[in-house]
Amino acid sequence: MVLGHEAAGVVSKVGSRVTNVKVGDRVAMEPGATCRKCEACKEGRYQLCPDVIFAATPPTDGTLARYYRLPSDLAYPLPPNLSLEDGAMMEPLSVAVHAVSNLGALRSNQSVAVFGCGPVGLLCMAVAKALGASRVIAVDIVPSRLEFAKAYAATDIFLPPPMEKDESRVEFSMRNAQAMKEKLGIADRGSQAIDLVLDASGAEVSIQTGIRIVKSGGTYVQVGMGNPNVNIDMFVVICKELVLKGSFRYGPGDYPLAIALATSGKVDVKPLVSHRFPFTQAREAFETTRNGKSPDGKGVIKAIISGPDVDINEA
Amino acid sequence: MSDNPSFVLKSILDAEIQQKPVPEIEANEILVEVKKTGICGTDVHFLVHGSVGDFIVEKPMVLGHESAGVVSKVGPGVTNVKVGDRVAMEPAATCRKCEACKEGRYQICPDIICAATPPTDGTLTRYYRLPSDLAYPLPPSLSLEDGALMEPLSVAVHAVSKLGALRSNQSVAVFGCGPVGLLCMAVAKALGASRVIAVDIIPDRLEFAKTYAATDTFLPPSIDKGESGVTFSIRNAQAMKEKLSITEHGSRAIDLVLDASGAEVAIQTGIRIAKSGGTFVQVGIGNRDITIDMFAVLCKELVLRGSFRYGPGDYSLAIALVASGKVDVKSLVSHRFPFTQACEAFEITRNGKSPDGKGVIKVMISGPDVDINEV
Repeated sequence: MVLGHEAAGVVSKVGSRVTNVKVGDRVAMEPGATCRKCEACKEGRYQLCPDVIFAATPPTDGTLARYYRLPSDLAYPLPPNLSLEDGAMMEPLSVAVHAVSNLGALRSNQSVAVFGCGPVGLLCMAVAKALGASRVIAVDIVPSRLEFAKAYAATDIFLPPPMEKDESRVEFSMRNAQAMKEKLGIADRGSQAIDLVLDASGAEVSIQTGIRIVKSGGTYVQVGMGNPNVNIDMFVVICKELVLKGSFRYGPGDYPLAIALATSGKVDVKPLVSHRFPFTQAREAFETTRNGKSPDGKGVIKAIISGPDVDINEA
Repeated sequence: MSDNPSFVLKSILDAEIQQKPVPEIEANEILVEVKKTGICGTDVHFLVHGSVGDFIVEKPMVLGHESAGVVSKVGPGVTNVKVGDRVAMEPAATCRKCEACKEGRYQICPDIICAATPPTDGTLTRYYRLPSDLAYPLPPSLSLEDGALMEPLSVAVHAVSKLGALRSNQSVAVFGCGPVGLLCMAVAKALGASRVIAVDIIPDRLEFAKTYAATDTFLPPSIDKGESGVTFSIRNAQAMKEKLSITEHGSRAIDLVLDASGAEVAIQTGIRIAKSGGTFVQVGIGNRDITIDMFAVLCKELVLRGSFRYGPGDYSLAIALVASGKVDVKSLVSHRFPFTQACEAFEITRNGKSPDGKGVIKVMISGPDVDINEV
């Protein structure tokens, strides 16, 4: 299977009846073609279409190719101030928009905590900030990632204490949540409460901690994928009447909002591109991403691979 | 009467009738002479374990919270009820002023005063003090026992109608055929669900559910020796889908799943059988640490909601559903005891059946000096 799904490019050819783009247009590519006809598609949740054809999800070939075929409505023209790299970043940014704005329904002045400072977590923080969150708390176990989050979009950061020998994950998460509440002055209710918690790490202890620090009556959105089997405190879910939502890819309106946020300067995706590779070095690109850092020690946030015969510095 | 016999939990497994002062009421409050009280699983849990989750009994506490009675006294400012009115009692007084109260979610008020949730005394007593707006006059067609059942019915209304947002023709699965599960099924049916699936591991309870409100029933297979809960739930969900022709999308999909059992394998199974984009409401309280398949939650974009007691409008809807005949609560009263036999009543509830072998659904305790057959 061809890999890759976070892509942008230039329209090479248009089929009959295409009206929204023309040959030569620079476009962000939404890589999931859906059937349009099922209940999910018609009711505004095409991300749940059972017949979705998604780039680089088996068995569908991805976008690390010269040419990619796409329904025209899934191509979004890039404004002049967005580069092609920015365009490629619209995919993970749309994931963040879907989680924070669509499912999280974040409103101005609410406060947010994001667990996991990888690209999706960072972009969730950026969306939260752009939508007017009063507080954006970043949590990660890697200090340099927290530092970056602080410089990028977070108002507060929290580094969890190390887990103790023989401590169960449940015990750790209770201790971790307590420490987080104390350090950051977080309450269960009122102005110091956390309205929305997102997990972009997939780690069980993050999920457990997140459920404990979200406010009474708050919303928790799961966007990170980790171990499928996660142990949670259901009593807390019940007594706080939490709403726990699974977030999958993106749906109607998410790509347009992502592009609008980037175009208006409310979200800056450029700082997230940490590494660039030509197409011929795709393998090294994956290796570096997998290692989390390049041989020179620089930490990976987002590695971008240029298309065949595209210069890595071509914007 | 000037005395106030009350059924007091002194310590674990030690409860007895004691005299308590008759409460003084203030403006906008009423004093209710409690006539009928149903026993809830949480009452039993407090008796047996001294706690429910983070709610811990630290000093002696009167039990009971599912009650109806007759208004005995009204304070200044009370206009919605008068002395002699038969009323259902919503047993949780909230502060009215905090964010939760003002935004329509008083059930999560941090200063809630709830009968028989420590440290507040409950309703297994002669007289109970209540804000007047929490007393709902019973229509003539409802008995006092029906009135007492409005409390668990309101729990069901909150879970199915409010949080589950059930719409006509949707399909529902309910795990756990205890009183709350049965009432969730009844509410679902009353609101026009096309399909109400009941799941329980006890065949008798499933039989009852089928006659009461369920369109379909499912008895899970037994768990294999050494089989993990996760593996079992995958197998269980598969068996349930096959037997009941359940799909993930389309007309055979399950829109809303409720767990009223608190059992981990039920919760795990429920998450697997809910449709893509469906809602799962957790109303049953069981073990707190529950392993769930987060991948299923994520890929199906499930909405998992914790349901806690009841909020604005739930009691009113509960009463309306019974008054109009859309929900029948009478069939759920399986056992009746006079106040002097409160201990036996709890014992029977805990055993799940009386010495004659009859299974418990809802055990009703009459108020002091109230005949068990008085309606």
